[in-house]
Amino acid sequence: MLAYRNGDAAAFETLYARHRARLYGFVLRSVKSRAIGEELFQEIWLRVIEARMRYTPQARFTTWLYTIAHNHLVDHWRKRGLTLVSLEGDEMPGASPDPADHAEARESLARFAAALEALPPLQREAFLLHEESGLNVAEIAAATRTNEEAAKSRLRYATAKLKAAISDG
Amino acid sequence: MADERDPKLSQHYRSLEALEPSRELDQQILAAAHRATDRAHAPLVAPSGRHRWYYSLAAAAVLVFAVALTMHIERQQPDPEAVRAPPAPASKAETRGVITPKPADEAPAKPAPEAPPPPAFTPDPQSQRPAPASRVLEQEAARSASDRAAAEQARADEMLARRAASEQRAAPAAARAAPSAAPAQADAQVRARREVGAAQQYAAPAAAPPAPAVALAAPEKPERWLERIAELRSRGRHEEADKALAEFRRMYPDYKLSEVMRERVEGR
Repeated sequence: MLAYRNGDAAAFETLYARHRARLYGFVLRSVKSRAIGEELFQEIWLRVIEARMRYTPQARFTTWLYTIAHNHLVDHWRKRGLTLVSLEGDEMPGASPDPADHAEARESLARFAAALEALPPLQREAFLLHEESGLNVAEIAAATRTNEEAAKSRLRYATAKLKAAISDG
Repeated sequence: MADERDPKLSQHYRSLEALEPSRELDQQILAAAHRATDRAHAPLVAPSGRHRWYYSLAAAAVLVFAVALTMHIERQQPDPEAVRAPPAPASKAETRGVITPKPADEAPAKPAPEAPPPPAFTPDPQSQRPAPASRVLEQEAARSASDRAAAEQARADEMLARRAASEQRAAPAAARAAPSAAPAQADAQVRARREVGAAQQYAAPAAAPPAPAVALAAPEKPERWLERIAELRSRGRHEEADKALAEFRRMYPDYKLSEVMRERVEGR
């Protein structure tokens, strides 16, 4: 990223090739529309390009990239009126809002996909950052502008729900 | 502990549909990245937008400043052509081909009966040049200045004498005999010398044009002066005539009087 900041356009190609698939998967699985996901994906990279002069290597580029992605996702969720944080009132796995889905989904993968989609946005985000992007709890906390305890809780809740969805079969 | 992945969950997640951006999306993003790096260097090549007029304004300002500076320097420097070839005066002395002091400067030193009356403080074109470029002209100007200074001194003495004489004439004869007449005459001389000194200082050599006050105090022409003495003599004011004649002798010691004029001014 430093090379690109100094005018090396080829450095950006390397950077993009390294992160494009994971970021794309993270964004598309965070929203329910491919069109919106692609739009957000493009906006995130354009923001990276615009903000290149402000980039300082204080943290991993991955953390910086997913911080930008998180901000875009939060804006998107707010526009849609979605609740971002609801840990206290969140139901634990086994209390799916739609029990009929569990009855119909025989394959664990299908249940897994459904459970992932059903996760609250911040829990899903924490899980995707952990599973898709390879960030640890500290990096998730940094990328999502929260403390590590909150990040750990989101990740734990998400994991528990997904596990429950798989074992339901 | 939370950083450890659950293998079962990871396996399920990897089993989901692989998601990758389209080639078109990739190209759009990469093109934007290249455009951004190109734009970063663009201002060095061609300014754009509202900043463009700064360059035109700066160029115009530099041009105006350069022209003004050039004109100012040209005005400050003397015209070399004018210094080398000054306008030729109609004087016959110029026929020698060398710039010489005017007869007025030499008149008090070598008076001649037939010589034209000294044109006191005639403006000298050479002396009005503030800074002659040629060294010959500088020397000439210096010599002219020294001659002029000598002439000034002679005129000052003459004025002094004449002023004293006129005050003596104005004073009554009894007062002239009194002891207080001498200090009054001395005061008059000091005052006159001071005035002449101021006039000399004002009419600085080789620089300033002639002052009108000094021109008015120019010495009387010898012929006219003699006529005035003869008139005094004819009116019977012999004492004044004698004093004026003595003064004339002192001013023009080698002035040759004709017989007719000698009889008229001496009364013998």
